[in-house]
Amino acid sequence: MRRFWRLLPFFLPGLLLYLALFVYLTVTSFYYSLTDWDGLSPSYTVIGLDNYPRVAEDVVFRKAFGNNIKFMLAVVLAQTVISLLLALQLTKQSRLHVALRAFYFVPTILSSVSVGFIWTFVYDPTLGMLNGVLEAMGLSSWNRNWLGNPRIAIFSIAAVQAWAHIGQMVILFVAGLQSIPRELVESARLDGATRLQLFLRVTWPLLAPAAAIVVSYTTIQSFKAFDLVFTMTGGGPAYSTEILSTYIYNSAFMNYTFGRAAAASVFFLALIGLITFLQFRALRTDRISY
Amino acid sequence: MGYQTTKRQPWRGLLLSLMIAGTGVLAACGGGNNAAETGSGNTPSEQQVSNSGSNPVTISFIHWRGEDAAVLDGIIEDFEAEHPGIKVESQIFPSEQYQAIAQAKLLDGAVGDVFTSFPGTQFEAIARAGLFTDLSDEEFVAQFNPSLIEAGQKDGQQLALPYQLVYNIPIYNVTLFEEQGIEVPSDWEGFLAAAEQLKQAGIVPIAFPGADIGPGQFMNPMVMNNAPDGEIFVKLEAGEAKLTDEWWVTTLEQFKQLNDLEYFQKDALCTKNEAAGALFAQGKAAMLATGSYQLLGNKNNNPELVQGLLAPITVPADQAVYEGIHTTTFMLAINSKTKHPEEARAFLTYLSRSEVASAYANGTGQNVTVNGVEYTSEELQVVEEWTNKNTLFQPRFTITNAEVQRAVLSSIQSVLAGTDPAQAAADAQVIVDQQIGQ
Repeated sequence: MRRFWRLLPFFLPGLLLYLALFVYLTVTSFYYSLTDWDGLSPSYTVIGLDNYPRVAEDVVFRKAFGNNIKFMLAVVLAQTVISLLLALQLTKQSRLHVALRAFYFVPTILSSVSVGFIWTFVYDPTLGMLNGVLEAMGLSSWNRNWLGNPRIAIFSIAAVQAWAHIGQMVILFVAGLQSIPRELVESARLDGATRLQLFLRVTWPLLAPAAAIVVSYTTIQSFKAFDLVFTMTGGGPAYSTEILSTYIYNSAFMNYTFGRAAAASVFFLALIGLITFLQFRALRTDRISY
Repeated sequence: MGYQTTKRQPWRGLLLSLMIAGTGVLAACGGGNNAAETGSGNTPSEQQVSNSGSNPVTISFIHWRGEDAAVLDGIIEDFEAEHPGIKVESQIFPSEQYQAIAQAKLLDGAVGDVFTSFPGTQFEAIARAGLFTDLSDEEFVAQFNPSLIEAGQKDGQQLALPYQLVYNIPIYNVTLFEEQGIEVPSDWEGFLAAAEQLKQAGIVPIAFPGADIGPGQFMNPMVMNNAPDGEIFVKLEAGEAKLTDEWWVTTLEQFKQLNDLEYFQKDALCTKNEAAGALFAQGKAAMLATGSYQLLGNKNNNPELVQGLLAPITVPADQAVYEGIHTTTFMLAINSKTKHPEEARAFLTYLSRSEVASAYANGTGQNVTVNGVEYTSEELQVVEEWTNKNTLFQPRFTITNAEVQRAVLSSIQSVLAGTDPAQAAADAQVIVDQQIGQ
């Protein structure tokens, strides 16, 4: 108990900020989800849980949810696999590897709004670089209306999201790889393990904590990719890139249904919590032992 | 060494934490003071007044027209010279942000003593929140053309005064039309024939910014004669009309026709307004499916451009009721929570003068709703011709529910992406039904 009081001054400021900026706002959101507040009027009525079934039945919310799942799967898969492959090649502390890690990290420091605008131009079907490059390579049959075709628009944005954050994940994987005890790798090699066996039996299991962080962080990022979607397509065409965060924004600020937007936010929070929990369970980081 | 560290660190840490916490408390106290001041009406502008009676009152003016900033700054400078007791601080937000944040800014009365509103959804929301001051009895209202300020009325009160007048119909390249010997079409067959002729000549008939403003602009002239009832979207929101009815399915079929016949540029759904405008200004496209507000911008991009306005007439000529679409927007209003209503009134009175409105119109290339304004530029004269024509107030702005509006626009995008018009209309109607609670 004495130890608690001695440590209290260290965590109290952070705790207060957390309570004020996260817990209080979350509780407030939950409260507003029980009302019909439009975000502007001085008064509102408490309507209980009515907003929840309305949100669940909303066709646009369902589209947004489906799109978000597609977006998340594409981003998590691309970002995890590509960053792991890059990290496996960049584990040394040589100048080249450090420089390459920094190079891959550059897109992460750009603002997502800038990234959105840059890639909107890259994807432009007539003036954009992507179709131009494909054409120059004799691959004009691959030319697509990247953001205008409702079937592929969400994946085009997912590719940008992955491009922007791969460098960050490379750093996490490199840190994980560098923390694997060298003697384990060497003894596996001495036992005659092939490169694939070494990766599957030694590297990957020991990389699980880093992988868990990468996967959960990427998942959360993909649910929060509001600015990228907003600047590139605004949720269109025909709702094909509407995701949960743009749905909440539109409900709150364009349609003035704050109560419903708050209900969707609560659902959003629970969903992220559930998916992250399942991911940690699937990766079983608690089973790692040397 | 290790012992010393463990023993001394908590005290250092405690001191540091107390300092940080103390700073936080002081900062919070500072914040509290500000909050209290705001709550008691002492906004920065009011502080100036209360500090010294001779200091001017500062009023805040918020709007979304960044492109008009220089002209408005000049007008404000003249206003301040004429009213030494009043300062106007203008704050500009991009239009897409303005829809979302203006209301929140207006709520506490700290900014936006004078503000602007879009007609339709935003106007309705601000009215519901009681943030408009009723201007019905103000003398300056008489300065405006009565038929052009209806968008700012609600329940018999004049809550806002639309300042700009725009025509949301395609701009066409007069030279290209003349070179091809094309007359402005008066019916749908004529419109398609003109588009075909332009296409055969290697010219894109219609530059369509399908990725942003295109559907929301072009839907208006496309629907105006298919549903000549100006209240059609009001009826849609009341459940008395449906998107699956003939008027909207026909409109979608006509969009499909234009798309399938390649009268829009390739990949129109991915084209933003800037790119579509560039196609038009470069003479690669004969029509630009936006509105009169882009006449000046096009002219700046290509000074040789000779422009006119035309609307697609989607029915036989003898069945056409409307010749085009107009919108009155940039609606000036006074915040009901303002601490400086008299100063705000003085500013609106000034903006309502015909000579000030003339300066605004000719400086920004926008037609205005104020009487007695003289237009000097060629582009504004093009628009002025349309004031004598039978035009319909923009149907899109009669939709008060933003999600209903999105459903309507999405059905156009769906059709351009290949969905059958009847199916696209049915999909959109499902969303409309949910929104209106049916």
